Amino acid sequence: MIEITDLQKIYRMGSVEVRALDGVTMDIAKGEFLGIMGASGSGKTTLLHMLGLLDYPSSGRIVIDGTDLGSLTDYERTMFRLYKLGYVFQDYALVPDLTVMENVSLPAMLRKDRTGEQIKKDSYEILQRIGLCDRRDHLPRELSGGQQQRVSIARAMVNRPDILFADEPCANLDSENSRMVLELFREINEEFRQTIVMVSHEDWHKDYFHRIVRLRDGKVVSDGFNGKSGVT
Amino acid sequence: MGKKELNVAFLLALRSLQRGSRSSVVLTVLIIAMCFTNMVFLPGLFNGIGQSITAQIVDYETGNVLVGPKSGEQYVNDLDAVLDLINGMPGVERATPHLTKAATLKYRGRVLGVSVRVIKPGDEKFVSPLYSKIIAGSYLGEDDTGEVIIGKAVAGDRTIKQEDEFQPSLGGVQVGDSITVEYGPGYSREYRVKGIYSTGWYSADQTIFTTWSDMEQVEGQTLDHAEYITVKTKPGYTEKFIKNELEQYGVAESVSTMSDLLEKGMGRALQSFAIINMVSLIVGIVITTVVLFIVITIKTINSRKQIGILRAIGVDKEVIMHNYGMQVVIMAVMGIFCGVILTFLISLYMAAHPVVTPEWSATLYLTPMDYVTNSLILFLASVVAGYVPAWQVSREDIQSAMRA
Ligand SMILES: Nc1ncnc2c1ncn2[C@@H]1O[C@H](COP(=O)(O)OP(=O)(O)OP(=O)(O)O)[C@@H](O)[C@H]1O
Ligand SMILES: [Mg+2]
Repeated sequence: MIEITDLQKIYRMGSVEVRALDGVTMDIAKGEFLGIMGASGSGKTTLLHMLGLLDYPSSGRIVIDGTDLGSLTDYERTMFRLYKLGYVFQDYALVPDLTVMENVSLPAMLRKDRTGEQIKKDSYEILQRIGLCDRRDHLPRELSGGQQQRVSIARAMVNRPDILFADEPCANLDSENSRMVLELFREINEEFRQTIVMVSHEDWHKDYFHRIVRLRDGKVVSDGFNGKSGVT
Repeated sequence: MGKKELNVAFLLALRSLQRGSRSSVVLTVLIIAMCFTNMVFLPGLFNGIGQSITAQIVDYETGNVLVGPKSGEQYVNDLDAVLDLINGMPGVERATPHLTKAATLKYRGRVLGVSVRVIKPGDEKFVSPLYSKIIAGSYLGEDDTGEVIIGKAVAGDRTIKQEDEFQPSLGGVQVGDSITVEYGPGYSREYRVKGIYSTGWYSADQTIFTTWSDMEQVEGQTLDHAEYITVKTKPGYTEKFIKNELEQYGVAESVSTMSDLLEKGMGRALQSFAIINMVSLIVGIVITTVVLFIVITIKTINSRKQIGILRAIGVDKEVIMHNYGMQVVIMAVMGIFCGVILTFLISLYMAAHPVVTPEWSATLYLTPMDYVTNSLILFLASVVAGYVPAWQVSREDIQSAMRA
């Protein structure tokens, strides 16, 4: 599903060179629930942004579903994100002036292959799935953090993306809400065979992942299926 | 940019205005409304004043169309024939001749130089509302001789001492009094004051009127010439049309419309009006543009992160741009609408309570065209002011926007 070859991202700040990613090579298979873990500053967000087409690598190659990302124009990248990818961010990032329903429908409304009827049905279904259907006419500020994060998962899922990216989705939540969100991810992963790539630095999250990739200083230091671990 | 994208941009814009900061929206709309008012107020006021001056010039000086002597001649000659010709033209309400004579008035030791206007009172009624401006006594009859009507300013006021007078007068002439009019050296004639009028038009109130018949007595011959002929048009006929018509059908005299004359006479004044109008227009546009620019820039700066997220989830930058652009467009439309209503109300109020001076009365004179052009100008300025920062913010790269 995703093939990453010798990915590098180098930030230059004056004369100082920060190697945020330093030669990452790995594959991610369809249906995987992958956890990217590592200390702060190890390059987790950077890697996720490369995979999610939110940033450009300094060198190396990413191929998603046969498409070499290096060959895409800016507009094609936007459309790739809209049609194939879903995102959940740490701070929910819902549009504050849109209702829950409108927030969830927003990505679907931009797609050429969705009718108004279908958008309504899809959004309704996904809201029902996350258990916030009765809150669909509320504004984000009227919801708790955990509820907002579930709405943002619904927004990411409404287009049935090929890959769902999540960057520390539980960082702002207490452990109970975190558990709820992680459960939701697990259910989505199992029900829809949804590929999920999630960044986390909470050790207990790893119970939910199929596979864990550990980064240190921009390098993959371990990659293995849950419990067992092996160096790439 | 498809329909879906525009729909989403519009939804985002609308919701942001509906559910975002109410006070900032209201304030912006009010500022646009004030700018609109500012743009149209001064020009409208000048137009209103101009209109009222124009109306008085038409009433008391030139009529709608003025027929003067051929070039090189002192008078319009063969007057009866010319009058018959003009009066027979379609669209002409009435044509009436005028002569002026310089004269010196004497009354109880006061002496005042004025010009005496000679008119045909009956025809004059169709061209000028002078007859309705009599404040004492009565208007001239067609065959009156030895009688005059005199302007209020000439008549003066008995209660004001001569040295206190703002402008010289005869010091309080009353209807029925007798005044002496000296036409040139050695020829003077006694007149009975038949009426006193007050038109509010300075130069008319500074003169006296007598009849054509009287002047024929003074001259001792029939008067078949005039200095000029004033022509009143019938409703529905333009001055231009009458002018062309007169020229085509054999009026050999020089024919000018009232606006020809006004342009000649008031060119300077009109020019400075135009400059002031232009300045107030530009100021209005600049203020609006700057305000909208600031409002939208602040809004986009505050939502940089938001914008980054939207772009991350696949919202195209065009949608982002139109979102903020449309917010300005919507506020501009509301502001212009309020401005139109506001100025319309002001113009209604001023029509009911004009600021009156003897020379003119100030009303707000605004044509539908004025509303349309000013609205369009302001609208275009708003679009530019909104879309420039919207365009800028939509170009920002996702990384720096998201980390903002
Ligand atoms: N825009 C940038 N300019 C310069 N350096 C950057 C930039 N973004 C990230 N870095 C650096 O790249 C490295 C990796 O950053 P990244 O955000 O990927 O870490 P992370 O693993 O997500 O950390 P955290 O757990 O704190 O979120 C860090 O050393 C960071 O300082
Ligand atoms: Mg991070």
